Amino acid sequence: MAGGLRESVLVQLTLLAVACALYWSTLGQTFSDVGSAHSPMFFPRIILVLWIGLSCIALVNALREPTDTERPHSLIRLGVLVGAVVVYSNVITTYGFFLSSAVLAAVALPLFGIRQPLVVLAYAVIVPGSLVGLFNHMLGMPLPTSPFTYLF
Amino acid sequence: MLSHLPDAVGLLISLEGTLVLVLGTVLGIILGAMPGIGSTVAVAIVLPFTLTMGQSAAILLLLAVYAGSVYGGSISAILINTPGTPQSAATCLDGYPMAKRGEAGLALGWATVASVIGGLVSAVVLVFAAPQLAAFALNFGPIETFALILLGLTCIVSVSTGSVVNGLLAGMIGIFLSTVGGDPIIGEFRFTFETWQLYSGFNLLAVVIGVFALSEVFMRASAKPSPVSELVDFRGVVLPKWEAWKGRLRNLTKSVLIGNVIGVLPGTGAATAAFISYAEGKRSSPNKDNFGKGEPDGIVSSEAANNAVTGGALVPTMALGIPGDAITAVMLATLTLHGITPGPRLVDDNPTLIAAIFLGFFVINLLLLPLGLLLSRVAAPILRMREAYMMTAIVLLCAVGIYFVRGNPFDLLVMGAAGVVGFVLRRHGVPMAPLVIGMVLGPTLEITLRQGLILKDGNFFAFFESPIALGLTLVALVALLLPLIRAGLATRRVA
Repeated sequence: MAGGLRESVLVQLTLLAVACALYWSTLGQTFSDVGSAHSPMFFPRIILVLWIGLSCIALVNALREPTDTERPHSLIRLGVLVGAVVVYSNVITTYGFFLSSAVLAAVALPLFGIRQPLVVLAYAVIVPGSLVGLFNHMLGMPLPTSPFTYLF
Repeated sequence: MLSHLPDAVGLLISLEGTLVLVLGTVLGIILGAMPGIGSTVAVAIVLPFTLTMGQSAAILLLLAVYAGSVYGGSISAILINTPGTPQSAATCLDGYPMAKRGEAGLALGWATVASVIGGLVSAVVLVFAAPQLAAFALNFGPIETFALILLGLTCIVSVSTGSVVNGLLAGMIGIFLSTVGGDPIIGEFRFTFETWQLYSGFNLLAVVIGVFALSEVFMRASAKPSPVSELVDFRGVVLPKWEAWKGRLRNLTKSVLIGNVIGVLPGTGAATAAFISYAEGKRSSPNKDNFGKGEPDGIVSSEAANNAVTGGALVPTMALGIPGDAITAVMLATLTLHGITPGPRLVDDNPTLIAAIFLGFFVINLLLLPLGLLLSRVAAPILRMREAYMMTAIVLLCAVGIYFVRGNPFDLLVMGAAGVVGFVLRRHGVPMAPLVIGMVLGPTLEITLRQGLILKDGNFFAFFESPIALGLTLVALVALLLPLIRAGLATRRVA
């Protein structure tokens, strides 16, 4: 419970801090301003004020009524998967769709409980390979290729 | 619109049109049958692939996936007691007990026929109601449109599962995200922080796919691995005989009506319709004592209502440009991406396209019958597929889809970030549907508010001189405050 409380308060505090920082960022800006509704910051400021207000209420709620957030079954499993997906979304255009996807599949499948190396290897090669074959070579809608070969 | 019917038929019977209708329905049924994917994720996965298609094919593909997935959810609900979509949760109550006593085929038969009838009637409602509503909305200027969008935004309250405050907060975050990039009136850049990739704002699809599909993968990874469900004995769909319908037609009619009415109301959704209809069926059916023990009326109530919502939900989406839920918000985004502006002028400006969409929606619901009969047997073994394969494939398909939108590596980063943020927020009860609704409605809300203020010399109260705007704002206020008052009263009663 205490962990859940700390986590939900932290999330609400982060949302509040982000909203405040964004509002603060609007104050120093100068635009070719010709009236309130013409100002590019007129509407975002209204929304940010509402965001800050709602964040405050949500923060008070989180402090008063601690939510029993279920802890992840395995933090390591989740952390590795999130990391892998974030890195994956960064490297697709550099190393190509096939190589990046094969590595991601090889990491993700064991995390989800597939332990047979042959199955992992087959999936990691066949699924991304089929997608590359379909899009790059049949439909003519090329996915990013690696720096090593134009084929994948 | 009738004069454009021949052209619309031409679009539908073309190779692309036919393929899209059949493949979309097949894909929808299979994706809908997979527990955890659901209609929104199914539509989100398919969406980027529509960008290379023509306008009508793209919209029809999404409609087919949408209608197919709502029906597909009943397959897993009946065979493994796990609803493929939230809309089918009520179907489990009687579908699975029927399946356990060896009548899985018949249970699916009831679900198939009820779904088809519900969907067909909702297609008729869509055809007649959407143009009427659009014709009325043609009188709207920026002030009335602002009030209308405000009313549309109140559906955030009803789609907010858990805390209303968190739902509204997500809505504000969504509206804020829509303001990043060029200002719609004077063109200056906002919140770009010298990052040129942000000049055109956040890609809506990258955010939608991130917060729905990718965050779902993380949610599954954070939960205990689920064992593969055991299938009950199933040898294909058995359609109920005509005599078996005796005494059930009243329940069917009522369920279809409930689905249509609830579908038209923004923010209520198919799951609500299914449960309200189930409750009404249980109250009024002559077989009410058998509800929960494998009563066909229970399946009919749930399935007829949830499929009847599909057409109803498209009425405000098409006619007013207001999405009723996350799925119709994604549909709205697709229309915009294809250069179509949903709203009052949609029918007048694109008569052939609209005729094709309406006709296509009718055909999709007809296709549910043969394809449902055929695919139930195919979908059943898929239900035993391990989560690992499905989740990994979803990540790969999300990346493929997003890359095809603009070929922009930055969109992939946005998708990854949206997935992580979506996961963290969902874990703490912040729903994602309001965020998407806010992002879709945000730009229109901003431009109509600012245009209205410029027209009225900055006097906001002059907005209420328009009776339509006043009426819509009052309805919006009631819609916003009613759940809050109810929640407050409930808390006081508990205390």
